[in-house]
This record gives sequence, C-alpha cells and structure tokens, in this order.
Amino acid sequence: MDKTDRKYKNGEITVFWQPKKCIHATTCYRELIEVFNPRKRPWVNMNGASTSEIIRVVKLCPTGALTYKNNADTETGNAGTVTSSVHEVTAEVRVMEDGPLVLKGTFALFDTDGKELRHMKMLSLCRCGATNNPPYCDGTHRKIGYTGK
Amino acid sequence: MDEENSKPQNGPEVRVLKDGPIRLKGTFTFRDSSGKITTGEQEIFLCRCGGSANKPYCDGTHKTRGVQN
Repeated sequence: MDKTDRKYKNGEITVFWQPKKCIHATTCYRELIEVFNPRKRPWVNMNGASTSEIIRVVKLCPTGALTYKNNADTETGNAGTVTSSVHEVTAEVRVMEDGPLVLKGTFALFDTDGKELRHMKMLSLCRCGATNNPPYCDGTHRKIGYTGK
Repeated sequence: MDEENSKPQNGPEVRVLKDGPIRLKGTFTFRDSSGKITTGEQEIFLCRCGGSANKPYCDGTHKTRGVQN
C-alpha cells in the first residue's frame, strides 16, 4: 500500500482510493456527487448513499483507483474481493465537458518530441492548457474554471 | 493489470504536437461531450491550449496566443 492511499469506511464496506492510479476521469463524482465530491475534505463521504450504490459506482472506476472490500472480510483476515472493472474496449476517445480527453483501449501515444509515451489502458490528456504535467490531465481545469465542450 | 504485455500494435495513433493540438489518427470511436459518436477511420485535431472557439476541435488559436507546451 502506498502512503498516499486512503480508505473510507461505513458499517459494511471499506472503499480504497489509490491517487497514483487516478486519472480524474470524473466518472465517480458525475455518478454520485453525494459520496464522491472532490471539493470536500475528506472527498469521500461514506454516509452519502447506500452501500449498494457506492459499490455500483466504485465498479465503474475505469482505472481501478477506487476499490472496495467487505468489512467482514477485512476483519477475518480474508483477502476478500477488491473489485474493480477495467472496461474492455478497442479504442475510444471521449471528450469530457469542462474536463480532459479520455483515451481508452489500445493507442500509440507520441509526445511533442516524437517519443513514444508509456502505454496504459486508459489515460486522460489535458485540454485546458494549464496542467503541470503535460500532456496529461492533473485536475487543474477545475482550479482555473475551464469550460469547454 | 498487464501493462507490459499491452504494447500497441496497430491501434490508432495519438500525437501530442509541440505547441499545438492533439492529433488522433486511425480507427477509433470518438465521443464528444454531447454524447455524439463517430466511428471508423478518421483524423481529428483537438484543442490542447484551452483557447479554441470551436472546442473540442483545434481552430489554430494556439498560434495567436503563443502557446508553448
């Protein structure tokens, strides 16, 4: 477990968040802002929705940054089922409103100097021009109030 | 995840152009923010500077803004 990892618990499950895997695809908070709200601290509120609803949205996380375990499994030392689903698609490009460009599937990605970049099953690229980690999205579009279809 | 084993073979090409847009070329599904989908072989230039008047597409505005990235 990385030291930046976080966990959030309710009476039934524990949700794990691994920020290093998160590419701000925005799926979780667009689906369930009552639980996943990046403007709040802590950003996950386990009392914001039912356990089944939280599980549904955790399973939608495209990168596996969000996972969960049943608390019963954790207490008994059982490894449990850390669940995530990486969507299997051939190649899809999606423009997120007011946000980044999300690539899923198999792409050959080349940087400005022609160098091939690390290939991942999913990644998001900056569209607002303000990221501190070009060409990737780092969430800065929210800070600068970027808008764009 | 088997990231090492998923080296691209003949997938579409994504090129981050210096001080300019992202060029997508090849066969892929493109979905804009309104949910409109285009599929098949295509070539698209997408704004990366945040200044295009025709988002998500590049309209050349990065040149007048002197964008460097």
